[in-house]
Amino acid sequence: MKALTENGVTANESVTPRPPAKRNSGFWKSVLQQKYLYLMSLPFVIWVFIFSYVPIWGWLMAFQNYKPAKTFGEQKWVGLDNFKELFHDERFYLVLRNTLSMSILGLIFGFVVPITFAIMLNELRGSIFKRTVQTVSYLPHFVSWVVVGGIVYKTLAIDGGIVNDLLMWLHITDEPIQFMAQGKYFWGILTASDIWKETGWGAIIYLAAITGIDKELYEAAKVDGAGRIKQAFNITLPGIRSTVMVLLIMNIGHLIGIGFEKQFQLQNNLVTDYSEVLDLYALKYGIQIMRFSYGTAISMFTSVVSVILLFAANGLMKKFTKESIM
Amino acid sequence: MGGKAFQMTKGERAFDIFLYTALTLIMIVTLYPFLNVLAISFNESTDTVRGGIYIFPRAWTLENYQRIFSYTGLIQGFKISILRTLSGTLLGLISASMLAFTLSRPEFRARKFISTFLALTMYFSGGMVPMYILMKDLNLIGTFWIYILPGMVSAFNVFIIRSFMDGLPFALQESAKLDGANDFMIFYKIILPLCKPVLATIALFLAVGQWNEWFTTYLYNGNKPHLTTLQYELMKVLSSTNQGSGMVNANDMARQMAQISPESIKMAITIVVTVPILVVYPFLQKYFVGGMTLGAVKA
Amino acid sequence: MNRKSTKTIFTLMLMSSMLIAGCGGNNNNAANNTTSNNTGNTPAASNAAADDTALDTSPFTISFFGGDASPNWNKMQDEVGKAITEKTGVTIEAEFDVGSGGGDQKIPMMAASGDVPDLIFAKGNLSTLVDAGLIIDMTELIDKYAPNLKKVYGENMGRLKYSLDDQAIYQIPTNMGVGQQAFDATGGFEIQHRVLKELGYPEVKTLADYEKVLKDYVALHPETDGQPTIPLTLNADDWKIMITVTNPAFTTTGAPDDGEYYVDPETYEAQLHYKRPAEKEYFRWLNGMYAQGLLDKDTFVQKDDQYKAKVASGRVLGLISQEWEYSDGENALKAAGKDEYTYGHFPVTLSDEYKDHSFMQTGIDGYGLAITTAAKDPVRIIKWLDWMSSDEGQILRTWGIEGTHYTVNADGKREVLPEISDGLANDTANTQKKTGIGQYLIFGARYGDGVKDSTDNYYTTSFPDQIVASYSDAEKESLAGYKATTWKDLFPKEDEFPIKETGALYNLPVPTDGQYQVIYKKTQDIIRKRIPEAILSKPADFDKVYDAFLAELDKAGAQDMEKEFTELVKKRVTLWTGKTF
Repeated sequence: MKALTENGVTANESVTPRPPAKRNSGFWKSVLQQKYLYLMSLPFVIWVFIFSYVPIWGWLMAFQNYKPAKTFGEQKWVGLDNFKELFHDERFYLVLRNTLSMSILGLIFGFVVPITFAIMLNELRGSIFKRTVQTVSYLPHFVSWVVVGGIVYKTLAIDGGIVNDLLMWLHITDEPIQFMAQGKYFWGILTASDIWKETGWGAIIYLAAITGIDKELYEAAKVDGAGRIKQAFNITLPGIRSTVMVLLIMNIGHLIGIGFEKQFQLQNNLVTDYSEVLDLYALKYGIQIMRFSYGTAISMFTSVVSVILLFAANGLMKKFTKESIM
Repeated sequence: MGGKAFQMTKGERAFDIFLYTALTLIMIVTLYPFLNVLAISFNESTDTVRGGIYIFPRAWTLENYQRIFSYTGLIQGFKISILRTLSGTLLGLISASMLAFTLSRPEFRARKFISTFLALTMYFSGGMVPMYILMKDLNLIGTFWIYILPGMVSAFNVFIIRSFMDGLPFALQESAKLDGANDFMIFYKIILPLCKPVLATIALFLAVGQWNEWFTTYLYNGNKPHLTTLQYELMKVLSSTNQGSGMVNANDMARQMAQISPESIKMAITIVVTVPILVVYPFLQKYFVGGMTLGAVKA
Repeated sequence: MNRKSTKTIFTLMLMSSMLIAGCGGNNNNAANNTTSNNTGNTPAASNAAADDTALDTSPFTISFFGGDASPNWNKMQDEVGKAITEKTGVTIEAEFDVGSGGGDQKIPMMAASGDVPDLIFAKGNLSTLVDAGLIIDMTELIDKYAPNLKKVYGENMGRLKYSLDDQAIYQIPTNMGVGQQAFDATGGFEIQHRVLKELGYPEVKTLADYEKVLKDYVALHPETDGQPTIPLTLNADDWKIMITVTNPAFTTTGAPDDGEYYVDPETYEAQLHYKRPAEKEYFRWLNGMYAQGLLDKDTFVQKDDQYKAKVASGRVLGLISQEWEYSDGENALKAAGKDEYTYGHFPVTLSDEYKDHSFMQTGIDGYGLAITTAAKDPVRIIKWLDWMSSDEGQILRTWGIEGTHYTVNADGKREVLPEISDGLANDTANTQKKTGIGQYLIFGARYGDGVKDSTDNYYTTSFPDQIVASYSDAEKESLAGYKATTWKDLFPKEDEFPIKETGALYNLPVPTDGQYQVIYKKTQDIIRKRIPEAILSKPADFDKVYDAFLAELDKAGAQDMEKEFTELVKKRVTLWTGKTF
């Protein structure tokens, strides 16, 4: 394990001098050799097939005019009509724009802030303070969006909202700003609220990754005279790189399907052109009015785009960082 | 790295001051929503309507909690919730860690296929109707197992655990192999104990997910009083108006509004739901905060 | 609606022939229709009823799904529930939808999988189950086994039919009482009692009157308890925008509540009510109120709880709403003893030529119970429902058990025991769970408030005297100022209007397939976005914005939707009145 102690070498790279997969040996021979690996994975693969792949027949509904009242065989086939309607709806492009704007903002800040937070926590010496901060910071995760929405509205209100009071007190504005009435602020407000609510929760995974970093690396760095900030950049960050990349790839896949609850709870009638996302659109124009087929067409579209994004992210990461999930 | 008596430079000290100030601020800001919920839950419901409750109740009362606990079915629901959280977390951990282990082995031939096969499940679903029919065909409707089995294997968890395993020194496995241990033994005896931080994290994710989930009960087990969960029972308490349908019928609405739960009850419900899962946290926290040394296991 | 497949008709015929000895094809049976209109006065029906209605009291379980939440349901272990089981042998195994369900999610799954309970309260989702052939036609069952149901519905029996094309009875409406009378007005325009008193009980009939009252008072008292007085605020959070912003547009302009439509009472032509020129004037008035600073700046950005907090602070002089919508805020005022800050109700209209139609009666038109094909013994179920609809059953459901929940005094009047009425008022949940009063209202037909039984007692526990008794002194004072006993006295009464031939059109089942729902959703999106925009625009721009809004509705296909709705209305009129077009 000597390589590990070399200063500036990432924990991960240093521990992966692995044998390359032997591709030339016979298939059955390898199966026999790896029988435990197969035994440990195949049952779950079958499991996943049953519970995740079998219901995919539901995608056929996207090409039908599905009515729950009829059996599957009796449904009317409509070809690509549902997709045509989707791609011809102006609203669809609007909600797509909103979805991508908010998810990209979420992706950037949703990585930077929790990682920074986790590293900051890691730099704390006092164990009690560290645990307290960490415990407290993840509490908002358990508070529902309805409640958070209410708090955000009150904080930004024009009569008695703390933000406007502060801005006026600092003479940044003379008139209170109607933050929630203007679409241009919505994406920012949403992202900020999300960060506020989820940073502590999101940081947990990085904290766990940080614990996996070999302590000797830090000791060696100290001997070399590296300061704490330098250590954070040279040891901690590279040490969690693998986890970060894996999460990044998975989240890039989710760029288009971000759920709608937070947007729904924060929006009002004046900003719907900025707040409505694809998932809410699918609910409103799909299942909520019993258009299962249209809803399925949207979810199929989302799935296909997600999978393309996933492969793209995975491929790019593999090429440039050697990290990938597949 | 705690507790080491190092000579601190000026820069280091400034860094510390910044760190403690920033984190204290973060703590205050993130504590607020929870305190707010707590304060409202202990406030009289008619008084709550007036607004302006921040971190202390204005008209203290235990009535909201008394009302919640007067509902029958909560104890029963609590039992089922605990049972599903325990079994769901355990089975989820076993499946995810085993899969992650196999996928972390570079020589495993099915590795690429299984990774892709799993990864895709994160991005699509067949929808509610096919799922319902599948559950019906598998005779899972109206059973406890519907809480555990369908979502047992989570690709997300597998990849997170794998990324952690990838960071472990590979030499450990090699030496064990030379000692004649089979793959399962390596997994069970060597890898698993090293994965405690990530397993604790995933256990937390799984437990919170299991604990908070209520839709499965709603969709499949609503008519089985012995199988409903705490969340579902509390959803009943929380009954509100029908917002979905476009037409608003004034009479209907008036009647339903009379049943709508006051804000304070809702907040008390949030507390009742959240506290049991928060209690678990300190037990898991020690594994991912503080850290452990790999040196101990190095041969 | 192309809901009916031959398969469904076939199934129904098969069902009815299996269950009711050899009766099928009721759909085209003209004679049958007249019978039900005459409410079983034909001797044949009465004779048949004589022995067929005998009640079997052996233990019997009915599985049930209710589309509305019922948080205090106690699995029939309450006093009334036990009495029902004792008298009829029936136990209901109930599941009620939770939260904002309405059965919207569960019922499609039932339709897709065929798993249904015996009895269902499906609300707006009944047609999904009917289309799936899962609901049985009750026409014959009612005729043979349910004299009480026929008695309660009386001349309304014709209104139970499903549609012009399928005249079966799939559900009995039980979410509303027959002959229901409102004892008081709870809607209209609201003004605080302190305002009325100080201004000497001014006449409030038109928007101009209302505006003047608010303007005069806020000039006198720009502050309330140290905070700025808000002359008028509305609640536009989610669907409540309909209650406080858009519905008043038709109430002030002399139209009845037909949901989002205005239906011409002569031609039955339907249009989105926003298209009426008079309503544009209503919104122009709101626009003017905003421009003058009389309408709260926060109106369209506040959340429900912020709105209620404002009401509860006592600084809002006027509201345009329904009492149930703002009662949380008002209750907080009452609890704080600030009765003079609570509200009175006025039938305000755009001008003198319009009349508030709030009390126009719709007749029986509601949601109710349906028996499914899963029910093994529909006869037993209908007999049970019939018993629940008898005088004995109805009084058990609304009043409870004699001696335990109510007593009969020397004059033969029923009186709720004080501890029960106290409990229902102050500890509703526990009292309902213990007694079961109010838990069984949907399980059977019933008469509404204000209807008396053979003993000259009201069927329900609310009657006019209670209303007046519940008024605060401030409210009584205001009413005296207007020489009225209840707020309803200020409103045009039921007898000034004919009973609506079209029923309550917000309940009219609309097509669940095709473009109708899509257009409806789109127009809703437009309305909820553009109406606030129009109100907030500069008065000079109002016409431009409003006209663009109307054009946008039509661009989204509003005209096709209106045409479809018109057809549905006409079909309903034909079904209910026999008029043809």
